[in-house]
Amino acid sequence: METMLTSLIDIPSLLSVASAVPALAPDTAHAGGGAAPVAQPWVALIPMLPILGVVIAAVCAIFDVRSKLPAFLTVGCLAGSFLLTLAVFLHYDDFNHGAPFVVHLFDWINLAWGDPAHPTTLAANFSFYVDKLTVLWMLFVTGLATLIALYASEYMSHDVGRAYCRFFAAFNLFVFSMACLVMGDNLVLLYLGWEGVGLCSYLLIGYFYKKPEAVAAAKKAFIVNRIGDLGLALGIYLTFVHFGTLQYAELFASEQLQGYLAAASEHRWSDIPMTAQGIALLLMVGAFGKSAQFPLYVWLPDAMEGPTPVSALIHAATMVTAGVFLIARAYPLFLISEFALPTVAWVGTITALLAATIGMAQFDIKRIMAYSTVSQLGYMFAGLGMLTTTGAAFHVLTHAFFKALLFLCCGAVMHGFAGQLDLRKLSGVAWMKGWGIVAIGMLVGCLNLSGFAFTAGFFSKDMILAEAFVTPGYSVLGWILIGTAGLTAYYTFRVFFRVFLGPQHAEPGDEHHDDHADEEHTDETDAHHIAAHGHDGHFHPHPPGWAINTVLAVLAIGSILAAGLYFIEKDSHGWVGAMVHDSSAYYHSPYADHSDVAHAEEGAHTGLLFGQDPHKIMYYVSGVVGLMGILLAAILHGPRGWQGLFLGGRTEAGKCRMDSVARLFGPIPRWAEDKWYVDELYIAIFQTPLRVFSHLFHLFDKFVIDGIVDGVAKLPGALASALRPSQSGQLQGYAAGMVGGVVVLLIIVLVVIGGAS
Amino acid sequence: MDALISPLALYIACALGAVGVALALPTRGVSWRVPGAILAAGAAGLVVLLLSLRAYDNDQLPNVYFYVFAALALGSALRMITHPRPVYSALYFILTIIASSGVYVILAAEFMAFALIIIYAGAILITYLFVIMLATQAPVEGDEELQADYDAQAREPMIAAGVGFVLLAVLTTMMFNGLGSLTPRSDPVAREQLVLESLPIKVDRILDEAGLLEEDERVGRLGGEGVSKAAVNIEHRTIVIENTRTNTTRSLTPEQWPEDLSATNTEMVGSSLLVDHPGAIEIAGVILLMAMLGATVLSRRQVEIDEDAKAHEARRLHGTEAS
Amino acid sequence: MISSLVTLAQTDYPEAMGALTLAHYLFLSAAMFALGIVGFMTRRNLIIMFLCTELMFQASGIALIAFSRFHLNHTGQTFVIFVLTVAAAEAAMGLALVVLLFRKRESLSTEEWAEMSG
Repeated sequence: METMLTSLIDIPSLLSVASAVPALAPDTAHAGGGAAPVAQPWVALIPMLPILGVVIAAVCAIFDVRSKLPAFLTVGCLAGSFLLTLAVFLHYDDFNHGAPFVVHLFDWINLAWGDPAHPTTLAANFSFYVDKLTVLWMLFVTGLATLIALYASEYMSHDVGRAYCRFFAAFNLFVFSMACLVMGDNLVLLYLGWEGVGLCSYLLIGYFYKKPEAVAAAKKAFIVNRIGDLGLALGIYLTFVHFGTLQYAELFASEQLQGYLAAASEHRWSDIPMTAQGIALLLMVGAFGKSAQFPLYVWLPDAMEGPTPVSALIHAATMVTAGVFLIARAYPLFLISEFALPTVAWVGTITALLAATIGMAQFDIKRIMAYSTVSQLGYMFAGLGMLTTTGAAFHVLTHAFFKALLFLCCGAVMHGFAGQLDLRKLSGVAWMKGWGIVAIGMLVGCLNLSGFAFTAGFFSKDMILAEAFVTPGYSVLGWILIGTAGLTAYYTFRVFFRVFLGPQHAEPGDEHHDDHADEEHTDETDAHHIAAHGHDGHFHPHPPGWAINTVLAVLAIGSILAAGLYFIEKDSHGWVGAMVHDSSAYYHSPYADHSDVAHAEEGAHTGLLFGQDPHKIMYYVSGVVGLMGILLAAILHGPRGWQGLFLGGRTEAGKCRMDSVARLFGPIPRWAEDKWYVDELYIAIFQTPLRVFSHLFHLFDKFVIDGIVDGVAKLPGALASALRPSQSGQLQGYAAGMVGGVVVLLIIVLVVIGGAS
Repeated sequence: MDALISPLALYIACALGAVGVALALPTRGVSWRVPGAILAAGAAGLVVLLLSLRAYDNDQLPNVYFYVFAALALGSALRMITHPRPVYSALYFILTIIASSGVYVILAAEFMAFALIIIYAGAILITYLFVIMLATQAPVEGDEELQADYDAQAREPMIAAGVGFVLLAVLTTMMFNGLGSLTPRSDPVAREQLVLESLPIKVDRILDEAGLLEEDERVGRLGGEGVSKAAVNIEHRTIVIENTRTNTTRSLTPEQWPEDLSATNTEMVGSSLLVDHPGAIEIAGVILLMAMLGATVLSRRQVEIDEDAKAHEARRLHGTEAS
Repeated sequence: MISSLVTLAQTDYPEAMGALTLAHYLFLSAAMFALGIVGFMTRRNLIIMFLCTELMFQASGIALIAFSRFHLNHTGQTFVIFVLTVAAAEAAMGLALVVLLFRKRESLSTEEWAEMSG
């Protein structure tokens, strides 16, 4: 398979022949230091193909294409990107002898000022920094984007027309922005991508712009992200101020940073200036915003107002991992900060637990998935904080697959049941005709998410959990995360048992489908709705078509196969470990010996769990915890009979044992369902005072400022009306005034000048 | 030098003058015209008296006719501004002009004196009288009640007189304070030399009348072709006389200087005007031209004919032509 | 004193005139000017107001002539010519305006014309 791919897409050799193409002429005069610029300009096509997709979608919109053409062109572009990424991955060692390299596209910001002999320079060029971390990220970004675009081509088919083009334009733009974010060779380009994905997220959450909730959610996402982006921007400024460069290669190679790293490895924190330590804290705020960590996670559940493919791609698989990527990419900067990584670990753990508890009590399956995303992102952050970038990156990868799969399954359900997302109103979907692949896909995703033994999610989560006990000081977090893993398993299978198993029952949602952005299609879709579902109240779900099923199948297989990555290159902690090993995330980490190359012997030195090496015992612990969660879900939510493994007692869609169990907890489930009132708290803490203040300032503005301005404006008027009588129109009056003026002047002359002489 | 007269006296006089003028201004009802005029005249007289006393001490009294003309000018000016009838005002103004020209004569400005009478009394004031007669209904003699209100009633006389006389007080104070430091600045001889030089024929005539020229003799001409200046020197009172036949010259001694060989006022003014201010003359000419045009345009009577009348007129004219 | 009674001239022309003598003429000028101003401000007849401006011109003329005599410089007299020019032009324009205004309102009162009042 690999050889075939290699021979099929031997693009480097193809392009090296065609390197005379002017637009792609290699630029060897790149000014960046560190990583050598490599003449592989075709790498730039990875982000450029999605831009081509944007243009195509725009052109389609201009010509009002009413077919799925833009979707398939998009899929083509994204598949091209993916294949190119794959080519980079396969030929990586050929480019720069396995070292990171920079592909310079064009000068973007290239400034020099100050003393000409030793100028201060600011270089932020449109260059792409390719190391294995980049390749890892781009692989799943472009791969998933391709699959989800294919899925969306069917999912969005009711909006065919301008809105369809708009969707795919934003989709492509998102992939481009994400590529800039991941591949940029400097923090400014990362920031460009960062803001770009934020913009696309905004555009796509607000895709159904006629729906007030969607618009509100879009605004919420945008505004909450602003807070994080401010931190990121300040962090970038501070980086430039302190290190004088924004290019990764130069930054990581700088002696200053190396010195700090050496100091940090010996815990000489006082040798590292506070500004250098502050950079990581600021970048961390940016990461928290984008990756929906406490306390900035509130936008992500609301972001589910967007179309489900968007939720799957942007708000589950890729964009929200940008924060993880940022920390992984800037890991050396975090290593030199005394408090940054512990904060990351704690915040990640708290987020994981909080989101899991909220997810347990939700009824909207998409929201449950959203909270599970937040929760899993918390795991990733905890992993980063606990110095296992490998674990975090592995979890990012596996999570990308199974969470995309879960979302797409939920989307398929939503698509088929007229927007129905309430798990109390759906039951036994697995037994309905045509829903087999969805049910299997969902099962695979749920098993992964709940950390069922030998699934990809199991291995990646274990890596993080084990590290909590390996790295000193984090065992409390480890226990919390293990508990959270149990909760995760419970709420995941709660969805599966209630929606997919049990007696067949379905109440259609109040929408035919997702909302339709373009009202112009309303008549058409209504007609379709009536034809498909009847209008006599009897509801016929329509099972997913080939595109959705294909994507689900591929993703399910991918999710299962991802587990295999753990066993490849076992020496460096799996394939992902090998990928991370050669990147900045691993960059001269002083804790490398303790964490990432963790062997049993060394683990024994650093931490023990039940008297064993955490890496080994964790398999059993988390496997058992996951099973217990699933079992609990089966008892409380599972159907009666063999389908529920003889444990469940649910005979109707809406009634289960949980209803009675929940009463034992009093109001707590209610509170959890209301998301622990965090939104309300934010409203009370931030929004209400702001509202009050803005009203006060409005009044201040109206009465004081406007009063002053109007008063000043009225002054000439008042003065004029006071003086107006003097303009009597009578000639003699003017003459008297003139003579009086002359007299006064003469008296002044007489008294002042005459008196002086 | 101190103020010429006591400031206190000056201010009292100004105040009295103001009251007097204010009283003398036309009002309906009880008229204080005569006492007001007397008061004003007394005030003016007081100032002039004090001035003259001071001047007498320094032997700088003005010509006695000054008093005559000054009294005449001020009296008629007062009457002019107080008389309720415009025609009388204009006529009193003519009297003021004549008195002023008398003052001009005293001040050796004979040309301007006569020019003043000719231009003002002869031209401008006649225009005024025309306009007054054009624009005013002829009042019945002695019937003050029929007088137009705007003529019979002065407007705010006290305030106006107050302002005017404060100005007078300030002006006179400044003048009297500053006159002490004033000295004549000009050299009249240079101007007269210039004038006489440029008038060789006049010099010839005067010399001839004085019997100082023999046959074929004339005053010496200086300068080249086209320029002929008389060879007179006022400073040294010498005249060069040349014989055109023999081409010989001789000089007259200062004792032989004819008594009446001097530039007249008219000649001096003319020289000053044309030599020193040629541009101003041009500007004055343009001003007068513009005034003439403006007056013509403004006073043209606008004939307003509506469309029907125009059409009618056109038809009538056309018909006349056709027939 | 006696000689001053027989001759109209202040003194023989090139002879200088004293500053105190000049003061008399200037006082005459100032007084006439003040009367002109008072008249301009009090009288409500447009024509009389114009006459008052002429009076002020005259006053300035006397001052000019007096200084001309004092300084033995004929520029003062020359300027009186220009004053006369301006007075003549002003009279022509002013009287044309007066005629025009009188035609509109059948009145010479300045109070008829107060459209510029604020």
